[in-house]
Amino acid sequence: MVANGDDFTARLMNDMDPALLDFVKSKVNSFIKWDLVRFFYENPNTADTVDNIARYAGRNATAVKPELDDLVESGVMEKREVEGTSIYSLADNEDMRELVDRFILACEDRHFRVKAVYHIIRGMR
Amino acid sequence: MDHVQTGITGLDEMLFGGFLPQTANLVEGAPGTGKTTIGMQFIYNGIVEFNEPGLIITFEEFPQQYYHDASEFGWDFEQLEKDGKLKVIMTSPEVSRLDVESVGGMIETSVSRMGARRVLVDSITHFERLTQDPVELRSLEYSFINGLKREGLTSLLTRESPTLLGEASHDDSNVAFVVDSYTLLRYVEIESTIYRALLVLKMRGSDHAKDIRQFEITEHGVEVRSKFEGREGIMSGNPRRMVDSFVEAFVKR
Repeated sequence: MVANGDDFTARLMNDMDPALLDFVKSKVNSFIKWDLVRFFYENPNTADTVDNIARYAGRNATAVKPELDDLVESGVMEKREVEGTSIYSLADNEDMRELVDRFILACEDRHFRVKAVYHIIRGMR
Repeated sequence: MDHVQTGITGLDEMLFGGFLPQTANLVEGAPGTGKTTIGMQFIYNGIVEFNEPGLIITFEEFPQQYYHDASEFGWDFEQLEKDGKLKVIMTSPEVSRLDVESVGGMIETSVSRMGARRVLVDSITHFERLTQDPVELRSLEYSFINGLKREGLTSLLTRESPTLLGEASHDDSNVAFVVDSYTLLRYVEIESTIYRALLVLKMRGSDHAKDIRQFEITEHGVEVRSKFEGREGIMSGNPRRMVDSFVEAFVKR
């Protein structure tokens, strides 16, 4: 039996390191999260409020908050409550930091970026 | 008492050996005078010359900017971070204040894990956005500085001065009263050339040089040179030759 075009595309787009495929599909599944992960990769010791992180990333705090909370939920980031203030930072977990490093380094490859964009758009449908 | 050497040529001599341990030390100056360079050099020298790991707390510049600026002087901050000797923390005054006051905060954790001994806070000026009330501001700064001391850190705090040349304008900050030492950086115009001047205004618990010295930012960082000879009014930004002042005061009368 001959695979149809969609199957072929899906197989082609799934052709990446399984850990990174899972990272893209389940953790960095929006463009804002991608931006945030890149920001924290470049500035790994940032710890701040939603408003300030949104300002650093040049985005709206209302849009950034649910994305940060998703990243906390998926273990990419951590959230601490101090005197009623939520402070977000990159998870202090070697495995997760290594995965973030691998994702950002993989993004230097155009083919990987195309595949990541494909999965993010599919996930947003 | 042992001093915490900055390792900056000429500055330790002015400080009679360096800063005192677990003190807060303010370096104030206009944009481009070299405050952050002095701070980075204090941290870098601490790590490579004195085996004292350090933290940089930045309220505005991205860590990438520090990596880049440091590399211009041949200081590899990224490698030092990988080696666990340095941590460049980007945060805000409100969060850093809460952090230093809380148990198990990032600063406390860094001190215990890395053995950090020095910290650069760049810049303390950003605390001014926390409150309009000068009394409350002084209290916030005092509390933050005491938190750093409690952690055993010797801190260098930068403060922005909006005045490029001439006398500094009055503002509401009292941070100069809260810190243990206060160093002022100024631009000085002499015969149509801009020079940089440095003056240690105060240092609690130790004597220090009282003269105003010229300094330069070289490819190796800041180097403090000799004092300005035969000039007065250096800190006004527009000094006069002392002989001119003498002539004006006595000969032209």
